[in-house]
Amino acid sequence: MLASLKLLDLMADKSESMAKQWAKEVVKNPKTPYYHSIDQDKIIPQAAEFYQKLSRVYTDKDPFTAVKAFMGKFAEARFKEKVPLHEALYAIILMRRHIWLYAEFQAIFISIIEQHQALDSQLRTILMFDYISYAFTEKYWELMNQESAGKNKK
Amino acid sequence: MQAYAAKLIDLIELKSGNIAKQWATDVMKHARTPSYSSLPLDRVIERGVEFYMLFRQMSLADNSYEAAKNFSSKYAKNCYREKIPLQEAVYALILLRRNLWLYAEFQGVFVSALEMHQAVESLNRTILMYDYVSYQVIEKYQELIHDAVDKKLGSITMMMNNPVVNIKSIYKSGLMGILLLVSCILTYYYHATLGTGVIFTHLFYIPIILASIWWGKKGIFVAVFLAVLILTSHALFLKAVPFLDDLIRSAMFVLTGGIVGWLMDGIKKIEDLYKTTIKI
Repeated sequence: MLASLKLLDLMADKSESMAKQWAKEVVKNPKTPYYHSIDQDKIIPQAAEFYQKLSRVYTDKDPFTAVKAFMGKFAEARFKEKVPLHEALYAIILMRRHIWLYAEFQAIFISIIEQHQALDSQLRTILMFDYISYAFTEKYWELMNQESAGKNKK
Repeated sequence: MQAYAAKLIDLIELKSGNIAKQWATDVMKHARTPSYSSLPLDRVIERGVEFYMLFRQMSLADNSYEAAKNFSSKYAKNCYREKIPLQEAVYALILLRRNLWLYAEFQGVFVSALEMHQAVESLNRTILMYDYVSYQVIEKYQELIHDAVDKKLGSITMMMNNPVVNIKSIYKSGLMGILLLVSCILTYYYHATLGTGVIFTHLFYIPIILASIWWGKKGIFVAVFLAVLILTSHALFLKAVPFLDDLIRSAMFVLTGGIVGWLMDGIKKIEDLYKTTIKI
């Protein structure tokens, strides 16, 4: 897990810069049309906060529970904004890609040992995002069902 | 096809059955995919093999996103038909990807420094594949839900889209005003001039039902107005005729208006719910 620390520091320190790069892409990516009409400045804080929180769960003893807690709120916010589920999830995928793109751009893994660390970091990141995908979909689905049930009762 | 992925592709093609079996064992007992535990093992394995065979197709295709579409559509349809919740369907995909990687690691496919580099590249490729497939599966799964809702609510949406129902608010009020005026004239003509209360009151059901369709429960005010109208007119012009018939008629107006209005409010709620589901 230690090898991932370099990436964690980067995520915590440069969350704003990563979020800006993500925002630039998500507003023009063909798989996220919902975001195309949204001002980049409005979505940068949500991505920056996401990176900040993610950097904290990496070292958590029970990362799944930690991910579930912060993704629950994240899913609620996206649900309120009426972002379609597949687009919201793709926006998260883009967030993951931008961690890696930023790390590559900053050339934080150069030596052979660092290359090994790179693989380790990548595997850890993928694991975190696996949890994120599951927790996000589960919560979003729950909210959709709750809304349906609520409207039926009225 | 990139050279670095060739090693992994060869392994997958040769051992897709074994990897799929490993995945099936995993997914059928995993805490995050409980719905898979009741599925027949052969069917689960078959689905795993289909996913692993997709890896070569996607690697060879000019447009790997398009190449994944058939698989994703079939996968989503199967999950939907088997009532597997979306988050479990997504997590099963995650496990498909993980088992692929675990198998390659277990087989010691990537050992040397160069191979480690290849490992990173291959890993990126499997992740890209997962990214595309998960996006398409979620999109398709939601589409299937919308289609099912569409089918169930087909008659309701057809009714709600009917021009009589969708008429503009200003025209509704105007038309209702005219219908009520005609009702007043008819009542006066029949009661005051002809001195009879037969037949014409059946025409009152037109404004009563229209009002309830347009305004739901609030439409009952039209029924109440017409009930009061015939009772008042009866009291003024038909003193010699017994009240009972018009009392029954008035009660029927209010009852019909109330029931249609109540039903329409229910239908509107379902329509709202449907529209919200479609948006998400």
